[in-house]
Amino acid sequence: MGYVAIKGGGRAIRGAEAALDALRTAEGEAGTPLTLAAIEQQLRLLTSRVVSEGGLYHPRLAALAIKQMQGDTLEAAFALRAYRSTKPRLLEAPLQDTNRMRLIRRISSAFKDIPGGQMLGPTYDYALRLMRLDLADESPEAFRRVSRRFMDEMPDSDLPDTFPKVVDALRAEGLLPPVAAQPQEAFDITRDPLVFPVPRSAALATMARAETGSLLAIAYSNMRGYGDVHPTIAELRVGYLPVMLPHPVTGELIEAGEVLMTECEVVAMYERDDHDGPPVFTLGYGACFGHNEVKAISMAILDRALQKGMRDGPSNPSEDPEFVLLHVDGVDSMGFANHYKMPHYVTFQSDMDRLRTTQSQSGVEQKGVEA
Amino acid sequence: MLAGHIETNRTRGDWLRLWSALSPGRVKAVADGFAQRYRIEDLGASPSGLGLLPLRDSALGESYFLGEIPLARAHVRIIDDAGMVAEGAAVLLDDRASLTRAMAILDGVLAARLPGFEPILELLEEGARAVDEIAAGRRALLAATRVDFSLLGTADEDDEDA
Repeated sequence: MGYVAIKGGGRAIRGAEAALDALRTAEGEAGTPLTLAAIEQQLRLLTSRVVSEGGLYHPRLAALAIKQMQGDTLEAAFALRAYRSTKPRLLEAPLQDTNRMRLIRRISSAFKDIPGGQMLGPTYDYALRLMRLDLADESPEAFRRVSRRFMDEMPDSDLPDTFPKVVDALRAEGLLPPVAAQPQEAFDITRDPLVFPVPRSAALATMARAETGSLLAIAYSNMRGYGDVHPTIAELRVGYLPVMLPHPVTGELIEAGEVLMTECEVVAMYERDDHDGPPVFTLGYGACFGHNEVKAISMAILDRALQKGMRDGPSNPSEDPEFVLLHVDGVDSMGFANHYKMPHYVTFQSDMDRLRTTQSQSGVEQKGVEA
Repeated sequence: MLAGHIETNRTRGDWLRLWSALSPGRVKAVADGFAQRYRIEDLGASPSGLGLLPLRDSALGESYFLGEIPLARAHVRIIDDAGMVAEGAAVLLDDRASLTRAMAILDGVLAARLPGFEPILELLEEGARAVDEIAAGRRALLAATRVDFSLLGTADEDDEDA
């Protein structure tokens, strides 16, 4: 039995698209289309997730993808990746320095007195998880007052835009390993396949655009005991990184724009130095586009776990680069799960034929035993 | 060709950032005026596409790619009736080639101080005010949430609950 051409498949697919759009607009006369600005601003954490998992910092298109895919983050990230695959690559930016991030939040669980101080910024960390029923029927007037009032009530502040990093202070005390003097060329996961063993830069890039839940699940296995990172967050920061590119005429580095990102360093158990130096803490690093703290923390834990696995061999799944890096991409894993919805008529027919043959042979054998 | 006493202390490296803080319509309107006054030649296509963004990780100092960014670039030659030639360019985290070309025109006119450049200085100041406003908003997020770790009972305490 081979593939069979059928009538009406195209019509059914067009109908499915129309059905989706009909449900999107089912509010009818009472409805108002979502604006991209509303999605980008009011669902900013969702937009953050999509820019990060799509691997492209384009919040407006991410908002469009969220609207088009009706809130499905996996499909929205897929749409963003599909878009990026149609665009030419113009350049590779010079190495950017996250010390220049203009912060809106920075905390440390290692020290209370970090240089520059701790600023909670916009966070749900200390919020009661109680439903705010007033938001259910928020009026446009009340909505518009909130941000304006916040700004009006804030006195002028002389806080700087940028702050020193906690790890730099620890490093100055000799408690951390030294940084690479000359960074090696980074692995480009958009052009080259992961063929193991892969360099750490491939792992970092893969995790930076990984699906948040997948990354969290594997990091959680390490936290619960299938691993021994035992992290302390040296610093978690959220802010806007100015992207410096060469001016096409002068060649001078100029700010071409900025990206919102989250960055985290975790300090883990100390180890003896490989070159007979004094023992130092080990470190894990996580970062991603947008505001996504769970992802950055999970990535930092897995970075540390993978460093150990790459050096000593994995002793649990979260230390195995192949296991982690091949199972955290949302577009890959969604695609595999979804492909099971496609017709498998031929393979299943084959399965049925084999089962029937096995059953009939089993029946003959059974009769033979009874006889 | 300097025009009177109107000047700015903003360096060319800051210009794009300041103009980017303004509405695209405002920037394009000023650039359109120069496009009518001068002959503008595009030096190559004004492509839009993507750039790869490498960072240096702050744990071990290794480089890696955080992801991709949208980019648009423009490079123009500006020629006035007297044959004076200036070059301007822009590169933005944006995919709007027309906006980037408009900024390239502004960049070239202002860099060469071509006659009529004064409105571009006004744009710079407007942009600077917009950038300051954005920065003030971010500082407010920090200032409102700064944690006071002084120990209870050892410092003058604000009786917040009173």
